Amino acid sequence: MNLNIAITGLHATDNPAPGIGVIRCLLHDENWNGKIIGLGYDVYDTGIYDKGLLDHTYLIPYPNQGVDQLLERIQYIHHHIPIDVIIPTLDSELAIFQRIKQNLKDMGISMFIPSKEIVNKRSKQNLVSFCEEAKISTPKTVVIHEQGQFQKAIDEIGFPLFVKGVFYDAYKCKNISDTSHYFDEFRKKWGFPVLLQKPVNGKEYNVCCVGGVDGELLGSVSIRKVGLTDKGKAWSAITIRNEKLTEFSKKILKKLKWNGPCELEIMVEERTGELFLLEINPRFPAWIYLCTGADQNLPKLVVDLALGKKVSALPPAKSGITFVRHATDMVCPLDYIENLTIKGELHY
Amino acid sequence: MELQFKSELTISESGFLFDHSTGLTYTLNSTGQFIFRKIQDKQNAMHILNFVMQEFDVSEETAHKDLDDFVRQLKEFDLVSR
Repeated sequence: MNLNIAITGLHATDNPAPGIGVIRCLLHDENWNGKIIGLGYDVYDTGIYDKGLLDHTYLIPYPNQGVDQLLERIQYIHHHIPIDVIIPTLDSELAIFQRIKQNLKDMGISMFIPSKEIVNKRSKQNLVSFCEEAKISTPKTVVIHEQGQFQKAIDEIGFPLFVKGVFYDAYKCKNISDTSHYFDEFRKKWGFPVLLQKPVNGKEYNVCCVGGVDGELLGSVSIRKVGLTDKGKAWSAITIRNEKLTEFSKKILKKLKWNGPCELEIMVEERTGELFLLEINPRFPAWIYLCTGADQNLPKLVVDLALGKKVSALPPAKSGITFVRHATDMVCPLDYIENLTIKGELHY
Repeated sequence: MELQFKSELTISESGFLFDHSTGLTYTLNSTGQFIFRKIQDKQNAMHILNFVMQEFDVSEETAHKDLDDFVRQLKEFDLVSR
């Protein structure tokens, strides 16, 4: 089947977006027969220059420019290159793609993403109440909605603690001075809520999952990060086979009825072996290409689900498969930049 | 007394050990590899002690020390239970 698949999140610097990994997974499939359309936000998004991976590149408006702008742009692209499936890969754009899902469907473009209600349940400020309801362990967390709750939250959690922003980042603090500093930083950057969380002493594992229509776990790859950047992003990792992690992931997806890709961040407490859910990222992780080595092509699975195909759960992922990320330079002629700047599109 | 590994472990010819459930890796010297394989073969501690004495031509005291040291490290890394 000849498919045109559009993928976002192509800026791959030291904190890479997942789009390039997703594309590499799709191209890895031996039956792949289609075109890849890269959807970039900026002329200097790094991945849009990779002609070895992309057939076409189009710039699209940032999510904060609104639904109409995005829809109009996708209609334009679809008119020139009919799109079968879009795979959004960024947290920040998920809400807008949810809003235009039906419009896209009417145009003949499919996606396989969970609803706004489901995604909201796993947001940082709602995760604790979801975990309580679903009887899933998560570190003790206090969500601060206003300045007056700050001291009480510290008294409740105690030191050391993590200060977490509502969207990104977390800092471990051992005293009031550091806590105040990062609390203010997050408050100024993204406003309330800000979270304080008790650390769990143990090892962290990440699981990339795909949930089916009713939240059934159709595929998962578990990893232990081996090398981290100074931002805490994986630079190398190894796949593992751990039944406890798989069962835990299965329970989480089922309770959420999660239909789509996600990445679970899980701590295994050293003393007790208990599993704690830290976060759920509502998209593929940047290390997604590793899944092909573990014989689980999860992006291909999402394409099949988006197209409404009947799919079965994949066999367990292979353990002991490693990835090491390395940076490379791409050299391109001036007309690439010219086309993207003037027309907002580039065809290889 | 029989030693048992807690999780699935694989060892290569070169003594590179991989724990499938945690992704952690270890390197074993020749004595470690020998003892590890005997544990995999479900030999008890007494038999392993005798095997070490024969294989490496060492006294019971030395074999005991080597075996104890190795098992202590396996426990430290949470790889084995008794």
